[in-house]
Amino acid sequence: MKLNFKAILISACLLPALYGSTALAAEAGTALKNDTLRKEPYADAKTAGSFKRGDNLQILKKQGAWLQVKTTKTTGWVRLLSVKRGTSTAGNQTAGILSAASGRAGTGQVVSTTGVRGLSEQELKAAKFNESEIKTMESYTQSANDGRNFASAGKLKPIAFANLKAAKGTAQ
Amino acid sequence: MKTPIKAQMNTLLKNTSRNQSAMPKHAKIKSHKNLLISALLASMLGLSSMQSFAFDLKGALKEAAEKEFGQSQEAPAKDAAQTQTTETGSTTSETSATAKNSEPEFNWKNPSTEEEITLGREIAGNLLGAAPLVKDAALQKYVNSVGRWVASQSERPELPWRFGVIESEDINAFAAPGGYIMLTKGLYRKLTNEAQLAGVLGHEIGHVVKKHQLKVLQKQQLLNMGAGFLSSKYAKDNQLVSKAIGTGAEISARSLDKSAEYEADRLGLSYAARAGYEPYGLTEVLQTIGQTNKNDGSVTLLFKTHPHPDDRLVALGDAIGNKLDNIKNGKTLESRFYQLKN
Repeated sequence: MKLNFKAILISACLLPALYGSTALAAEAGTALKNDTLRKEPYADAKTAGSFKRGDNLQILKKQGAWLQVKTTKTTGWVRLLSVKRGTSTAGNQTAGILSAASGRAGTGQVVSTTGVRGLSEQELKAAKFNESEIKTMESYTQSANDGRNFASAGKLKPIAFANLKAAKGTAQ
Repeated sequence: MKTPIKAQMNTLLKNTSRNQSAMPKHAKIKSHKNLLISALLASMLGLSSMQSFAFDLKGALKEAAEKEFGQSQEAPAKDAAQTQTTETGSTTSETSATAKNSEPEFNWKNPSTEEEITLGREIAGNLLGAAPLVKDAALQKYVNSVGRWVASQSERPELPWRFGVIESEDINAFAAPGGYIMLTKGLYRKLTNEAQLAGVLGHEIGHVVKKHQLKVLQKQQLLNMGAGFLSSKYAKDNQLVSKAIGTGAEISARSLDKSAEYEADRLGLSYAARAGYEPYGLTEVLQTIGQTNKNDGSVTLLFKTHPHPDDRLVALGDAIGNKLDNIKNGKTLESRFYQLKN
């Protein structure tokens, strides 16, 4: 009961205010790793089942860093990064719950509209130094102070956060 | 320890004639012997298999290189001289004498920040030769503002960080030593808010902070010196900077090892989080890129030089665990995200 109360409190007060909670038509997803489903969107919540890497899922809802997903057997919450949007076989999914949540919907994804590309391996090897372009690039340099002002204008507040370290037991 | 180096040198020698035609335009020195040396350098960089080879042998090569580095005065061209006739050895001393007067020395063993920036500028300038800046000053200024603020959260805030969006529909981003960072218009198109841009720039900033590209170039230089192709004096010659990076911007087309990419992901996310952004920006971009069809030409180079986005997401997810659970006020700022004009 205590757990549930905490869960409700967190989801009701904190998370929606921060990230918004989105409920739209389900989007297809694929499990990126074996993981446990939770009954609520937080780590201490009771388990509701599990899935295996490669399983196809339906993404029902996003709340903060959690996704509510439906497997063939059950429904539950998992961390955002355990799931890949789209199925392993499907192509692009331009519309979907996550894209809508991030304001993506409707902007359309333009891919390779022209044949002009300068960045193939061969083209990179053949590239010639361009002094005027590098000077132009350098002319846009911002100072640390410019950066601070820009951050303030966007109400960005720096926080203390230690650099992430590689997870133990991973081959990195 | 010596055997692999020797083997590598033999391969290099075989490749010399082929690569000589693809010599960089920066060949200021006319002497054909210098050309030969530069061609050797170029061919070394040009061998794609060399990358993993160099990393596998990391410790051994470094050791060997440093050992030879100290001895190079007495024995400038061991293996090289044998295979190559004595020409190389005799030119080396001539050139180092002339170079010493005209150009500052480049300390490959322990480059200064200025030297790092010089090297990065050369690489960035070459990359801009392949794909120029998008002609939109407001866009460039915006990206520099975001990048500067994120870089200020890094371990090297004092670098003169510079950012640019380049004219290409490819999806990719590049970092060069000293703080030169570029992303393509194609990648920018995929972004939907400032937090995502901060995450992408953070990844590249991570490469610069950890000197990932610089270390690759240094290893190759030390290898060259260790193999006795160059005297230590000659190898420090600043004129070699343009040759050391190979032809054009090919260094940008090469892979770092996977652990460097995962590390840059973790750092990029961390810097963006410290800057006050919604920390999942980078992972959203990886989600988007992961959905791009592998056969789409716009991601060919990116997929070739980076671990698959799915693997990067899993690695980031494992590193994150519950560490972001208490970050609550991160901003996405889509309201001021600069929209491309075309």
